Amino acid sequence: MIHTSNLHKTYGHGSGSVHALKGVELQIETGEFVAVMGRSGSGKSTLLRILGLLDEPSQGDIYVDGINIARLPERKKAKFRLNKFGFVFQEQSLVSELTVLENVYLPAICSSHNNEYIDYARELLDVVGLTDRLQHYPGEISGGEQQRVAIARSIVNKPKILFADEPTASLDEESSHIVLDLFSRLNRDMGQTIIMVTHEPEDRKYVDRVIYLRNGAVDLGGAPLSPDLLN
Amino acid sequence: MTPFFKRYKLALFLAFKSIIKGNRWTLSLIIAVMAFSFVNLIFTSSIISGVMATLDQQMIDTMFANIVLSPEANEYYIEKVDELLPKLEQLDGVAAVSAHLNSTAFIEYRWKQKLSQADRGKSGTWSVIGIDPADEKNVTSIHEHLLEGQYLDNNDRDQVLLGVEIAGGTLSQTPDFLNLGGVHAGDKVRLTFENDSMREYTVKGIFCAREMQRADHLAFITRKEMASVFNRQVFYDRATQILVRTSDGRGEGGIIPAIKGTGFKGEVRGWDEYAGAQHAVIGTFGVIGSVIGAVGLMVAAIVMFIIIYINVLNKKRQIGILRAVGIPRDAIVGSYLIQALSFAGAGIVLGFCLVNFVVHPILSAFPIDLPIGPLNVKVETGRMVISAFALLMASLMAGLVPAVTVMRENITRTIWGV
Repeated sequence: MIHTSNLHKTYGHGSGSVHALKGVELQIETGEFVAVMGRSGSGKSTLLRILGLLDEPSQGDIYVDGINIARLPERKKAKFRLNKFGFVFQEQSLVSELTVLENVYLPAICSSHNNEYIDYARELLDVVGLTDRLQHYPGEISGGEQQRVAIARSIVNKPKILFADEPTASLDEESSHIVLDLFSRLNRDMGQTIIMVTHEPEDRKYVDRVIYLRNGAVDLGGAPLSPDLLN
Repeated sequence: MTPFFKRYKLALFLAFKSIIKGNRWTLSLIIAVMAFSFVNLIFTSSIISGVMATLDQQMIDTMFANIVLSPEANEYYIEKVDELLPKLEQLDGVAAVSAHLNSTAFIEYRWKQKLSQADRGKSGTWSVIGIDPADEKNVTSIHEHLLEGQYLDNNDRDQVLLGVEIAGGTLSQTPDFLNLGGVHAGDKVRLTFENDSMREYTVKGIFCAREMQRADHLAFITRKEMASVFNRQVFYDRATQILVRTSDGRGEGGIIPAIKGTGFKGEVRGWDEYAGAQHAVIGTFGVIGSVIGAVGLMVAAIVMFIIIYINVLNKKRQIGILRAVGIPRDAIVGSYLIQALSFAGAGIVLGFCLVNFVVHPILSAFPIDLPIGPLNVKVETGRMVISAFALLMASLMAGLVPAVTVMRENITRTIWGV
C-alpha cells in the first residue's frame, strides 16, 4: 500500500546540516498496525511527517497505491491529507473554538457530499466513548479525552492510513491504554492501516510489526533492537 | 455543492466560531477601533465639506447671489436697468434680482477732531454699493446679519449701512486692521466719493456677515443716493452689476443661457467664477481633507493588520494543524478574510450609527461656532459609501497579508517551529 524508496531528509546546509533520514526503504501493507520505534533523534517523527506529507523529503519517493505522492503539488497534497490520511499528534491538536463534535466533523465539511458527516461524527464519538461530551469545548475535557477526540477526527474521512505521532506521550498510563486499545480496535474491527511513532517498548504488544530506526535508517529490516538501545 | 462552496462554507464556519468564541474584549476593541476609524474618515471630511459649503453659501448669500451680470468689456455700466430687471425677473428659475451701483469712498469718522488735513484720524477708503434695499433683501442676506441699528429703506438718502470691519470696535474680527475705530449706529460719518463729492451720512446699521472674502468690508447706501452722488440723471437707470438669485434647487448653468437670450450684451457669470482665491482655498481644504482621510485609512489598515497579525500569530500552531488535517488553504485564508471583513463591517455599522445618530444630531443642535460662522457638518452619502468601501478594502488587505504569510510557511515549522 505504501512504500518508500531511498528517502532522505537533511535539515540545514553546509557543516551545520543534520541528515535526519538516510535512504529509508520500507513497505507497509493495507490493514497493518505498524509502530515506528527508535532512539530520540533517530528520525521517527521526521519519517512520519514526510510519509504524511507534512514535510518534504530532500530526496526519494513515497508511493501510495502506486502514486508517487512526494512529487504532488501542495494543493493535491492537501487534498490527499484530507481524504486519504488521518493524523493524531502528540500534543493537544483540537481547535479550541470548536466543540468536540465540531472538531470531529471539521475535516468532513469539505470532503463530504451531504450533511451525513455530522451523524457519522456522532457515531465516531460513540466509538471513542465520548457521547456525553459532544458539546464540550477542548478546554473542558481531559488530555486523554482530547486525544480520543483527535482520533475520531482523524478517521472521520475514512482515511487509507492513520498516522499517530507519539499519541500517548503526554497521557497518564490509564489514558494511554484507552488510546492504544482504541487504535487496536480500529485496526482489528475496521481494518484501519495505522502507522504510529512511539518510544514506549510496551506499546509493541498492540501492533502487528515494529519498524526500528537507527540514525535515520531502518535497522535490520524490522528486527527488534536491544532493550538498552531503546532506552 | 461545488468544492468552492464547500470551502466557502468551511471558511464561514471557522470565522464564525472564531468570532463568537474569541475574547470579547478583543472583539469589542477591534470593532471600536474600526468604528472610530470610520467616524474619523467621515467626520473629518464632513467638517471640511461643511466648511466648504458654509463658505460657498456665504459668498452666494452676501456677495454675489447666484449669477452676476456685468457690463460689456469696454463699458463701465449696464444701461437701461429699469427695462432689464423686469425681463430678468420673468425668466424661469429666477427668484429675484438686484441692481448695484458701485463706487469707492473715503470714509471718515470724527473728522472734526482732526488736527490738520494731513491727519487721517479714523478714516479709510472702502467700496460703497448703491442698492435698492427692497430688492436686495430678496437677493442677499445682509439684512439678516445686523449687529446694530436697522437695514436701509428704499427712500433713505442720508443713511449708510456699514460692514463691521469698516465700523471697527470690539465687534470687529480684525480690530488691528484699518477701520473707523468703533462707529455705532446713529453716529455720523463723512464719505468722499471718487468724483470728490463729499457727503455726511448717519450710520443706520452695522452688519456682520462673517463672509471670508470682503462682505464685512462693504458700505451700502441706496441706489438713488448713489445716482445723486454722481449727479447725472442717467445714473438713475444704470448699474455696475446686477445680482440674480435663482429659485431653490435651480443651478446657474441652466439660467445663464436664458439671461443671454434676453439680448443682454454684458458678461454673465456664475458666482463661483467670482470666488477667485477663496475658491482655491476651499479647493485646498478638499485636498487636505483627502490627505487626512488617506492617513486615517492607513492608520485603520495598520491597526487592523496588527490586530489580525497578532491573532494569526497566536493561532499559528492551530493553522498548522488545520493544514495538517487537510483543510484547504483557501478555507483557512478565507476564514481570516471573513473575520477581517466582519470586524470592519461591524465597525462601519457602529461608526455609521455614531455619525448619524450621535455626532451629527449633536452638532446640528449645537453647531461649532467658527470664525466664518456656525459650522454645518455636511455628511455626504457618497463620501460615506467610499469610506466604507475603502475601510473594507483596507481590512481585506490587512487580513490577507498575515494569513497568507503564515500559510506560506512549512507545516512542520508552523506546528512545531522546526
